[in-house]
Amino acid sequence: MDGFIATGLIGISLGAQYALLALGFTLIFGILGVINFAHGGFYVLGGYLAYAAGHYLGISYPLAVLAATFGTAALGYLFELLVLERVVDDQLTTLMLTLGLYLMMSTGILVVFGPQAPDFKFPVSGVLRGGGLYMPIENLIVLGVCLAAIVFVYLLVYRSGLGRALRALAEDRQVAAAQGLRPKLLFPLAFALATGLAGLTGALVTPVLSLAPYLGDPALATSFLIVILGGLGSVGGATAAAFIVGMVEAYSAVYLGGSKGALALFVLVLIMLVVRPSGLFGRESRGA
Amino acid sequence: MSRCGAELAVDRVCKRFGGLKVFDEVSFTIAPGEVLGVIGPNGAGKTTLINVICGKLTPTSGRILLGGRNVTGAPFHALSRAGLVRSFQQTNTFGGASVGENISRAIRFSGGRRASSDGISHMIEKFELASRLDERSDKLPYGLQKMLGLILTYATRPKVLLLDEPAAGLERRERTRIDDFVRHAQRELGCSVLIVEHDMDLIRRLCPSVLVLDAGRVLASGPPAEVLSRKDVLDAYVGAIDEEAA
Repeated sequence: MDGFIATGLIGISLGAQYALLALGFTLIFGILGVINFAHGGFYVLGGYLAYAAGHYLGISYPLAVLAATFGTAALGYLFELLVLERVVDDQLTTLMLTLGLYLMMSTGILVVFGPQAPDFKFPVSGVLRGGGLYMPIENLIVLGVCLAAIVFVYLLVYRSGLGRALRALAEDRQVAAAQGLRPKLLFPLAFALATGLAGLTGALVTPVLSLAPYLGDPALATSFLIVILGGLGSVGGATAAAFIVGMVEAYSAVYLGGSKGALALFVLVLIMLVVRPSGLFGRESRGA
Repeated sequence: MSRCGAELAVDRVCKRFGGLKVFDEVSFTIAPGEVLGVIGPNGAGKTTLINVICGKLTPTSGRILLGGRNVTGAPFHALSRAGLVRSFQQTNTFGGASVGENISRAIRFSGGRRASSDGISHMIEKFELASRLDERSDKLPYGLQKMLGLILTYATRPKVLLLDEPAAGLERRERTRIDDFVRHAQRELGCSVLIVEHDMDLIRRLCPSVLVLDAGRVLASGPPAEVLSRKDVLDAYVGAIDEEAA
C-alpha cells in the first residue's frame, strides 16, 4: 500500500512538471493559433541556460533558474515579434518556422555545449521519509515551484487584466481589436509567457532528470500528448491531462515495467481520439 | 455625462485592390450628433468604405479626419481607442463569454473611455438583456446578439459610430430597436453615426442625409426624400433593394 501511495506522489510530481511544460504549449495554440514545434527546444534551452549561468558565471541555482526563465521568455518575445508576427495567421508557415527554430536551437546547443550531457545536478539532495513513504527532496522542491508557477499562470490568465485581454484575443481577434486591443503588442507577450514557462520547466527539471541537446523531442511529444488529452488550447484541460499523464506514467512504470509507460500513454491518447476527439476540455474552436 | 462626439471627414478617399477599383473620390462629412446613411446595391463598396474608415484597410489615396485630426492609415485598434468604433454585419460579441463579461470587457478594453453605467443599463433593460447577464452571448437569440453587439460599441463611448447593416438578420418587429439604439447614442454621447443599411424604412426614419454608392462612385447625396425619389437612384437600386428587404 505504501508503494502504491509513493508511486502516486511521484505521479503528482511528474504531473506538475508536465503541466508547467504543457501550459505554455496550449497557451500559444489557444491565443495565437500557432502549434509551436520549438516548445521542446525552449525546454532544453532553459536547462542549458541555467547550467551555463551556474557553471560559467557562478551564480546560485535559484538565480540561474530565473535567468533561464527570462532568457527563454526574451527569445520567445523577439521570435514572435520579428518573425512569427508577420505570418501569424498562416498555420503551415508558422509550423515550418517554429520547426526551423527548433532545429536551429538544438543544433546551436550541440555546437556550443557538445553532445555530452553536462554535469548539471540539483543543488539539494536527500530523501524525506515518513509514515513508510519516501520522497526525494529535490522532487519536492520542484513540485512546490511547479505548483506555485501553475497557480501564478492561472491567476495571470483568469484574474489579471492581461489575462483577460489574452483570453479575449483567443476568443475573437477581430472583436477584441474592434474594442481597442492591440494584437501586435499582446501576441509577443503571450509567446514570451509560454516560452518562459518551458524554460522554467527545463531549468527546474533537467538537473533532476537529465540534460542533453536532443531532449526537446520527448518534451514536445509529451506536450502534444497532454494537449491532445486535455483539448487543444484549454488551460484547465492541459493541467488535468498533465496530472493524468504523470499518474499513468508513474503507475505503469512500477506495475507494468519501465518501457510500458509510453505505450500506456499512447494507447490512452488513441482511445481519447476515438471516443472524444476534442479532448477532455476541448472545444471545436480555439480559446484559452 | 459629457458628450464626446467628433466630426468625421472623409476626403476624396479612393480604394483599389490591384487593378480593381472599389470606389473613387468619395467625400463626405458627418458632424457630431448627425447620422448619415450609406446605401447602394451589393458590391457597391459600402462595407469596404467602412473597412477603410475604421483602419482595417488602408486607403489608396485620400484622407480621413477624426475631429480634425488626420488618422489616415492608423491601425484598426488604435482608431477604436481613439473613438472611431464600428459594428460588423455579423454579431460582434465574444461568443464564449457571458453578456455581463462582454460588457465588462468592452468598457475595460476601450482604454478608460467609458459610457455611463446608467446609459448602458438603460439599453440592457430596453433590449431585454437584464435577466440574461449570466448567459453565454452565443446562446442568445440572434436578434439579441446583434443588440448586445451594439451595446458593446456604445460601452466604449465612441466619438464616431460606424454601423454595418445593423438591421441585417433582424425580424421586422425587432428593427425599431436599432432606432432606439441610435437615438440613445446620439442623445447621450452626441456621437456621429454612419449607417450602411439595405432597409430603406430604417434609413428614412434615422438619417436626415443619405449617400448613394454605385460601382465605386457617389451617385447621389442629400435628404432621403429627395435622393430616394431621383429617377436614376430608383432605376438603379431602390426598387431592387426594397424588394429584397421586403
